[in-house]
Amino acid sequence: MKSQIHVNKLKTINKMSKTIKTIQLLAIVALFIGFTSCSSDDDNSAPLLEVASETVSNLHAPQTGGQGQPVSGQFAKFNFETGKTTTSDTDWDIAFRGTSIIVNGGTTLGTTDEPNRTGESAVYIANGTMASVTNVNTSLFTQDSDTGYAIPTGSGNGWYNYAGPPTHLITPIPGKVFVFKTRNGLYAKLEILSYYENAPANPDAFTDATPYYTFNYVYQPNTGVTTF
Amino acid sequence: MILNKKYFSIYFSLFFVSHSFSQETKVVATDSSKTENLNEVIITATRTIRQLSSLPLPAQIISKKDIERSNSIRLNDILNEQTGLITIPDFGGGEGIQLQGFDSQYTLILIDGVPLVGRSAGTLDISRITVGNIKQIEVVKGASSSLYGSEALGGVINIITETPKYGFNGNTNFRIGAFYTSDLSTTINYKKKKLGVTTFLNRYSSDGYDLNKADDLKTVDPFSNYTFNTKVVYNFSEATQLFASGKYYTQNQDYIASSTLKGESTINEWNSHLKLSHKYSEKWSSYFEFYATKYKAKDYLDDENNSRFSNSYYNQLLIRPEIRATYNPDDKSAFIGGLGFNHETLDRTDFTIQPEFNSPYLYLQYDGNLAEKLNVIIGARFDSHNKYKSQFSPKAAIRYKLNDNLNIKSSVGYGFKAPDFRQLYFDFTNATVGYTVLGYNAVSTAIPELEAQGQIANIIIPVSEFQQELNPENSISINIGFDYKFSSVLKLDLNLFRNNIRDLIDTRIVANKTNGQNVFSYYNVNKVYTQGLEFNTIWKPINQLKISGGYQLLFAKDATAENAFENGDVFARENPSSPSFQLKKEDYFGLFNRSRHMANLKLFYTIPKWDMDTNIRGTYRSKYGLLDSNGNNYLDTYDDFVDGYTIIDFAINKTFYKNYLLSFGVDNLFNFTDSQNISNIAGRIIYGKLNIQF
Repeated sequence: MKSQIHVNKLKTINKMSKTIKTIQLLAIVALFIGFTSCSSDDDNSAPLLEVASETVSNLHAPQTGGQGQPVSGQFAKFNFETGKTTTSDTDWDIAFRGTSIIVNGGTTLGTTDEPNRTGESAVYIANGTMASVTNVNTSLFTQDSDTGYAIPTGSGNGWYNYAGPPTHLITPIPGKVFVFKTRNGLYAKLEILSYYENAPANPDAFTDATPYYTFNYVYQPNTGVTTF
Repeated sequence: MILNKKYFSIYFSLFFVSHSFSQETKVVATDSSKTENLNEVIITATRTIRQLSSLPLPAQIISKKDIERSNSIRLNDILNEQTGLITIPDFGGGEGIQLQGFDSQYTLILIDGVPLVGRSAGTLDISRITVGNIKQIEVVKGASSSLYGSEALGGVINIITETPKYGFNGNTNFRIGAFYTSDLSTTINYKKKKLGVTTFLNRYSSDGYDLNKADDLKTVDPFSNYTFNTKVVYNFSEATQLFASGKYYTQNQDYIASSTLKGESTINEWNSHLKLSHKYSEKWSSYFEFYATKYKAKDYLDDENNSRFSNSYYNQLLIRPEIRATYNPDDKSAFIGGLGFNHETLDRTDFTIQPEFNSPYLYLQYDGNLAEKLNVIIGARFDSHNKYKSQFSPKAAIRYKLNDNLNIKSSVGYGFKAPDFRQLYFDFTNATVGYTVLGYNAVSTAIPELEAQGQIANIIIPVSEFQQELNPENSISINIGFDYKFSSVLKLDLNLFRNNIRDLIDTRIVANKTNGQNVFSYYNVNKVYTQGLEFNTIWKPINQLKISGGYQLLFAKDATAENAFENGDVFARENPSSPSFQLKKEDYFGLFNRSRHMANLKLFYTIPKWDMDTNIRGTYRSKYGLLDSNGNNYLDTYDDFVDGYTIIDFAINKTFYKNYLLSFGVDNLFNFTDSQNISNIAGRIIYGKLNIQF
């Protein structure tokens, strides 16, 4: 499972986040100038870490059961800090199994093999694009609970549409951006691109393998910063 | 669609070839029959005999002559060729008519002024109706509930059948064509002195067709149906007349649901219509009308062991007595008023109860020439109902004659459609998938029952929200247009329309079930509008040639959806695996199954010397969307569309020995099909027809 993950540093960061980064940079510079000119005693404020857009391809998240049978199987856990999957019981932010996505926060729904929540992760679904969702609205976060996941399951409810017969395709709903709080209280935004292996432009539910998540995300590594 | 464009251009080149040909023969042109359109009368628009050319409403007549020359056999054949009308197949296999962007459930279909019933899924299947005994078809566009009550939102289509003509005569007509489709009609007519009788018999059958050979199922299964119609007219005196009509329709069709599930479906329909009219004086007349119709449909499926898998039935009854009176104080004005009662019952599978609708109604209309050049129609109707809100439906229309060639007309009307039995009382659970559909009035009893059975996971819309009555769907329609006569041989008319539809009834999820499926019910929601323009022209460059063309531009949109686009709440992806982007207002295409453009061009040419006539007819429909293919629930320009298409029909008719007419024709000349999206276009149909008059 570990080997199936490839994190690609995206060289082409979209214009919007570039502009934002420029603004941020200017802000930092201004702050820096401000601080230096004040010539304060405690001049040890670390420069902000860079915010980058990343793509994760083919995160494999199989499940057994389903379609009326009890669901089981290990969740594929993902750590925003490292940008990698992990088998750690604690150092994960979100996890995938079949079409279910859980966060490391709240309580377990109690399905077989479901990990206990150890962190402060939470999520809300924003309407928009990766470029347009630039601020975190901290009042919207919800966590998993014993009655349901914070990202609702089922077609049209959470992240995907199920087309039904004849194509049976599972496709991500356009305009849904997931804003996460990580287990450590940092923020990330994420857009799912595909549920099929190698994210084909025109997937075929009968020939393309699932569940292989491909998604874009932006991680804000700086504490207390609620913008991307 | 490159191919179709090619066909279209071929069609147009044919059109110009025949045109230049016709100009050469112009020498023999005479002046007769150029005024034929002036004499056309229509009764649907005002419920009185009314000259079409002076009517302030958008209306149209399809003549028997055009139906015969086109060799149409069913109502859908001929309506599909009219401007702004298109038949849409529904999942039940029926074909309903779309008019000014309205779905088929919003257009009232009448035969001799009384309505047909049997809309089991909302659609009235117009392929049920033979054109063999039709005198003319009248189409009135714009809301007409002021005269006809429920269902007349988009408009009214009235099929006027033949009445007994003097003498003893008859005719028989037989057409056979592709897919072993045969149609046999016979009319026997008698009229002497006071008594007139006409009897009509039609048999129509087909082996059906299969557009997708890959699966086990046929697109249309084999069927046969019969229509019997007898009319009696008796003149007690000059002033008093009795009209009685009885009609019976029966159809039997194979019903193949899968390779293992096979069965049959049958439809039986009776209509009895009685009318007694009396003229008291030059000014006063009265009519007593009694109409009863029963529509019974049933089907069954057996599995491979011949044991019954499913059974369903649908029995609808409508009884309507009505009295009406006309008063003509002078030759400039006419009043009509009516009082009636609708009694309707339905017994069908998956219903909570056997519902009964009772609805008395009253209407009044004034039609008069206030000045020499000014015609005005004002009318209103009140429908009281035992199961939903009473409705008041006014209408006003005005026509002003600017000069001998130009008339301006305008009308505003209110139309409504009562919630149908299904929307109120349905209680249906899909046996294989497990979802449930509940009628609005069924929710408050069915949800607690499902809850008690442990089938409900959570309730999304509380049952208490279903206490209020469901509102009838309603619309306000506005039509503004003009007709212009360039000369005695060239006329055109143009009509702009706008329909504001409120309280559309849609389905929504009421509760989630424990099996992962949902419970759906109906509710009043959408604000929808349709608007556009319609254009018709007739040109008769010479006596033997008639060229007509029509075009409709249509925007049919959901105002709520339009807002969502405007607010930037709608997103799409270039392909399913690419990032989302925001859609703009202009990316919203509109409602499903509506084409922006529809057009037709028809050319009728007569060769009197050879007792022959021929025609070529083309209809075009631009692209339309059947479903949301990119997951945002709206039809936007990034969705998959059904390509636009053109269908060309050709026919040639020759008369022998006066009483024999032999015809040959090809419908859908270029064999257009779209097996994926269009189930009611079978492909090329070559046919022959024989008509004998006796």
